Amino acid sequence: MAQNSKGKLSFFLISLKDVYAFFFFMGKKSKKLKLFFLISIIPVVIALIIKINQFFSDRTPIQGIYIFNNMTVVMYLQFLILLLALFYGTSVCSEEVEGKTLTYLTSRPVSKSALLIGKYAAYTTLIIILTIIGVTLSFFIMNLNDLLNFSLYKILLRDVVVLSLGLICYTSFFTFIGTIMKKSILFGLIFGFGWENVIQYFPGSTQRFAIAHYLKSLLPAPKTGRFSFLMFRLEPSSPLLAIFMILLITGFFLGLACLLFSWKEYIFED
Amino acid sequence: MNPVIETQHLSKWYGNVLGLSDVTLEIEPGITGILGPNGAGKSTFLKLITGQIKPNIGTCSIKGKKIWNNFSLFSLIGFCPEQDAFFDELTGWQFVTGLLRLHHYSPSEAETKARKALEIVELVEDKDRVIKSYSRGMRQRLKFAQAIAHDPEIIVLDEPLNGLDPLGRRKIIRLIKSYKGEGRTIMVSSHVLPEIEAMTKRIILIHQGKIFAQGDIHYIRDLIETHPHIISIKCSDPRLLASNFIQEDFILNVKFSSAENTLLVETNNRDKFFSLIPALSVKKNIEVEEITSPDDNLQAVFDYLVGK
Repeated sequence: MAQNSKGKLSFFLISLKDVYAFFFFMGKKSKKLKLFFLISIIPVVIALIIKINQFFSDRTPIQGIYIFNNMTVVMYLQFLILLLALFYGTSVCSEEVEGKTLTYLTSRPVSKSALLIGKYAAYTTLIIILTIIGVTLSFFIMNLNDLLNFSLYKILLRDVVVLSLGLICYTSFFTFIGTIMKKSILFGLIFGFGWENVIQYFPGSTQRFAIAHYLKSLLPAPKTGRFSFLMFRLEPSSPLLAIFMILLITGFFLGLACLLFSWKEYIFED
Repeated sequence: MNPVIETQHLSKWYGNVLGLSDVTLEIEPGITGILGPNGAGKSTFLKLITGQIKPNIGTCSIKGKKIWNNFSLFSLIGFCPEQDAFFDELTGWQFVTGLLRLHHYSPSEAETKARKALEIVELVEDKDRVIKSYSRGMRQRLKFAQAIAHDPEIIVLDEPLNGLDPLGRRKIIRLIKSYKGEGRTIMVSSHVLPEIEAMTKRIILIHQGKIFAQGDIHYIRDLIETHPHIISIKCSDPRLLASNFIQEDFILNVKFSSAENTLLVETNNRDKFFSLIPALSVKKNIEVEEITSPDDNLQAVFDYLVGK
């Protein structure tokens, strides 16, 4: 029995690896990746403009790391990772159904769970890479004068980890939404840019119903400044609880998506 | 011979729309043609037996094992779907090798098998072109290649000749026939009788979600022969021609069409009818401009058979 389960697990892992390789390769070649790469370097361009402006300005420049921290929250956490997760997560299932290519995948000796998780993992890897490139470039541009201050690299590492966790979690949620709904993008936009942003301004435990709450709990509370209103009323959870919740939400929605994808029938529209 | 595919009371609805109703069948190795007009339920049947959709009622098994969600059986099946859909940004080579990797072949095994499949469908020279630049015929052949690449025991082809030019059709028919006698089970669907006839003698007739008849192609041919045919004749003197037709016992009905100089004749013996026309034309000096058979299609035969 145990050997049978072990065999099933190893077959599942092999399937996962094969599906991952297939979609990672296809994702790399896609036009969608090129488009999102361009979008993901917008913060880099903004960082560059700020730096050039500082260079030619007579005013005392604001610390690079301070601007970088705010960029992480405003541009990445509240915008870019939501956008990337939304478009990649919902497409895990819907692009196969809308493109009528699902048949090619579901007629292979691969479980539907392996198909879904493998594709989710491939897409998540791609968008994490996109984000890391953007964040790292923004970091280097904003801290050009202070590159030998190695304590700053800890901040970069922390932000990369938090954003990656955000991508993992949001993509899992949007994968579930794409599996269950036809108009998943619309719902995703309302959730990502409505619910996730608005609920953080609610006091008490209500804000714990947003993924962003746990991600922001892993970042330090901002100093009083121009952007502090964005963290207004944040009552952070402990970092351990935040990581646990992020992983729990990821697992929960990915599990639900797998169950649905395995049992739901997808009928192609003529 | 043991049946490879078995269905028991297989039924499928799409909401309130009936897809397939109470189909009980056994399919043995060899080529089996699924024939029926558009919307008859052919694709539904093929999707059910390949485990793409689940039945509402009944069961479908491959080699005695239920197919729905039994992905381990999928290595036995090669499915060429009806829809003209691909991962368009891939090349033909990447498409076939990529899908082969999902059969857990090593990269070198996948490449060997992909090359063999692309050679069979004569696409080796174009393998490095992106699929979106392929012609319709090439895309059909590529779909065929992905279905046969892993050397499956069961090959299911849903309307593989759709949208192909005569040369493309001949190529695909030749390919399908080349699998005859290898002990494989091949199922091909079409709504065109001569296409199926060119590939196999064993057919399943499907109409309005039900299996209408199953057996040898001669059976359907006989049904068609006894089906009264309406033939339209455009000629110089339709009234003279009509007066000669009504004397023959194989002519059931003669009508004048609203079209100019056109006669509609209903006959239950096409062979006798067509041998009579030249004789009459010469004898009575009637110039025949055009002969068409407005109901010479499968739908008309089905409508007749189901008593519409």
